[in-house]
Amino acid sequence: MKRSRSIALVMMGAGSLILSACEEPTVEALVYKDVQQCLDDSTVDLAVCEESFKQAAAQHARVAPKYTDPAACEADFGAGQCELAPYQTESGGSVFMPLMMGYMMGSMLGGRGGVAAQPLYRSSDDAKNYRTADNRSVGSTTGKTTVSRSAAAAPASKPYTVSRGGFGARARSFGSAST
Amino acid sequence: MQRIPVAERDDWRETAREHGFEFHTFDDGAYWDESAYYRFTLAEIEDDLEEPTEEIEKMCFAVVERAIADDEVLRRLAIPEPFWDHIAESWHRQDRNLYGRLDFSYSGQETSKTPAKLLEYNADTPTTLYESSIFQWTWLEQAMESGLIPQGCDQFNSLHERLVDALGRFGIFGTLHLACARDSAEDKATVEYVEDCARQAGLETQFIYMEDIGIDREGRFTDLDDMLIGTLFKLYPWEWIMAEEFGSRVPTSGTRFIEPTWKAVLSNKGALALLWEMFEGHPNLLPTYFADDPRAAALDGPFVRKPLLSREGSNVVIVGEGGHGRDHDALAETAGPYGAEGHVVQAFHPLPEFDGNHPMLGCWLVASKAAGLCIREDRTLITTDDARFIPHVILD
Repeated sequence: MKRSRSIALVMMGAGSLILSACEEPTVEALVYKDVQQCLDDSTVDLAVCEESFKQAAAQHARVAPKYTDPAACEADFGAGQCELAPYQTESGGSVFMPLMMGYMMGSMLGGRGGVAAQPLYRSSDDAKNYRTADNRSVGSTTGKTTVSRSAAAAPASKPYTVSRGGFGARARSFGSAST
Repeated sequence: MQRIPVAERDDWRETAREHGFEFHTFDDGAYWDESAYYRFTLAEIEDDLEEPTEEIEKMCFAVVERAIADDEVLRRLAIPEPFWDHIAESWHRQDRNLYGRLDFSYSGQETSKTPAKLLEYNADTPTTLYESSIFQWTWLEQAMESGLIPQGCDQFNSLHERLVDALGRFGIFGTLHLACARDSAEDKATVEYVEDCARQAGLETQFIYMEDIGIDREGRFTDLDDMLIGTLFKLYPWEWIMAEEFGSRVPTSGTRFIEPTWKAVLSNKGALALLWEMFEGHPNLLPTYFADDPRAAALDGPFVRKPLLSREGSNVVIVGEGGHGRDHDALAETAGPYGAEGHVVQAFHPLPEFDGNHPMLGCWLVASKAAGLCIREDRTLITTDDARFIPHVILD
């Protein structure tokens, strides 16, 4: 046979198939709103609390979502919930990011158990839950909790866009790209 | 190879809507045309089209090897110098390619003994993909089911399976971004189909218009959510990217592109001249020269002048015998905005005629393997964006 045995479209058209998502594996993690709440938890070693908080806070500026418009930041994270990031745009403008609202860590130092120590945030449309810098919810429970493995991964550095619109000029003068 | 008139499916427009095929009819007439189909023998498909397609792809790899080893070749192709190293790197790194379409003039074994002749290679931004892969396949199944065409027909069309398979093998980490320019429904539909295939290959995807792509402080490309663009499928010609403001950022952006940068060598019509120079006399090639090459004068008989870079049959001139370089002898000509970078001249090999129609055969490559056929018919000798898509069958 010289043709495909079957075809399928999952996004295009009206007859899309619905794929059921697989249940994601979870891991055990510790979530605290600040280092004091962790120190108050007698089940956790003091040194673990402090070292993990230090790691999370150190990542905050690098991994938090970035905005050049403070109103856009507050629209996502709430009024008064954003701060200046320690960066500037190429033209010298300010960069904004949400305040760090908590942190997450594994129950052992050094990220063993698959949980990377990291800062947590709260978005205005889902204020009761903590979320990672990669916008994955870790729930509202503090202390020992269960999070999805993808939420426990180390968060990515967040760039901030300094300029857009550098592509497209030829399409405007020539039309379709197709051949 | 025969052209066979056939009744249309009563409900094909509804089927098109259900399948997300929105551009089947243009303002000035049909684009999808199932009032006829072409019938091929298996030997015609396998011996005359499939095999030459993969053979030419291998010869094209030799052309890329040659181009990246010789600055003079890259200069003749009018590729901007800041991209020369980048093209060589993308080739040496063996950046995978997804797809391409070789356009042939061919009239079948019964009507003539002429091999399929390569007219051009759409190596970078071919469209017609969705209608080849999905709608043509659906037509075959439904037309057989309703008795419009004989039972037992096959089709040269493993595009869908091969696209899903190839996208799964790219080893894409994280999200695959897909982009085209605003304001072209056809380009958008092609990108949507590739995105659909990518999802079926298990990839996370995100569409973005080329115009919306941003750049961060470190010169990396970003999407509208400020997420880094790690891998970008772009239905946007490399020569446009290279000429635009953000183009200079491409080599250091860290973004991996599909099609890879080395395809810029092959999407250039100058590649046809290089193919002829390196494989002169090959049965599937037509004598082709850069227009300023003295050897071009050796073309005895009519020839076609094509811009190095052009799209959808624009700025193509067919010049009659003895009319070398003089456009007033043009037998046929299309208008358009291209040609500033130079031209090639190619021996004129007319498209065959079937009932007043001139079919051009597009042979698809997916990951450099022959994967299917699309036929576009025009009333004129130069196939343009007015051409109609005609389905085909294989039946011995």
